Amino acid sequence: MEEKNLSGEESLKLINRMIHEAKGYFYETGLSAIIYGFSILVCTVLAWLFEKKLISFPFHPFLLMTPVFFIQGWVQYKEEKKKKVKTFTDEVIDYVWTGFFLSTFAALCGNFVNAGYVIVTIILFLTGFAVFITGLISKFRYNVFCGTICLLIAIISFFVQNVNIYLLLAVDAVLVWLIPGFILRSHFKKQKHGGSELLL
Amino acid sequence: MFKDLDPILHSQLRLATMSLLISVKQAEFTFIKEKTNSTAGNLSVQVQKLKEAGYIEVIKEFKDNYPNTTCKITQKGIKAFEEYVKALQQYLQVKK
Repeated sequence: MEEKNLSGEESLKLINRMIHEAKGYFYETGLSAIIYGFSILVCTVLAWLFEKKLISFPFHPFLLMTPVFFIQGWVQYKEEKKKKVKTFTDEVIDYVWTGFFLSTFAALCGNFVNAGYVIVTIILFLTGFAVFITGLISKFRYNVFCGTICLLIAIISFFVQNVNIYLLLAVDAVLVWLIPGFILRSHFKKQKHGGSELLL
Repeated sequence: MFKDLDPILHSQLRLATMSLLISVKQAEFTFIKEKTNSTAGNLSVQVQKLKEAGYIEVIKEFKDNYPNTTCKITQKGIKAFEEYVKALQQYLQVKK
């Protein structure tokens, strides 16, 4: 870009073009979503088998999620560092998911008073809400659709207040993290070979 | 009454840089260079001018053992950019 005096029209065109360029930036490898989704899927299936007494386990399988949080947090941190641009959309989505994780931990405190399977229902609602909002903010239609399905699953969970509720959580893990994770991963690979940013 | 266009913003590369930064929270120098299709030397000079005017904040840090520069628009920069766009619109209306 050379330095030259711009006319009024040229200035407005340049402003529009640059704003469009900046808003089109998107960097997501999908790796942290895949790690998280796969871990929840494994833990929920193990928890279901464990509570059905089909397998024996030295501790509750959900405790396996503790190291996963640290691993996923580390992967997320690494991914964030690779981003050349931090958009306002990224920032708002980060706030939504921070709120989701804090609310999930708060809901898990129900275990202290043996609140039972209703805790899973609360987590299902929180997941549906977070995914729906993320979809609206990022204009990613899959997430809007998926968030609606998750909210329906959460409603169904009121009628499944037994060990089978873990299977609903497993369905959520596949819909919310695994499928979008693989979609993002495939876009990322295409983007890497094509050398352009992904535009959603 | 017609307002004069801000001379700091009325330059192609500086205006392009500001337009990129107005729509994001922060952006790396390499990203701005790539999108504006400018040379590192020229962009450095223009970024420095914007910094001196208080329109942008320049953060220098190390990323994976390499120096990395990140730019972020300031409140003063946002205000100047908004005024520039208003003045530009006014100017174009007068011209019509």
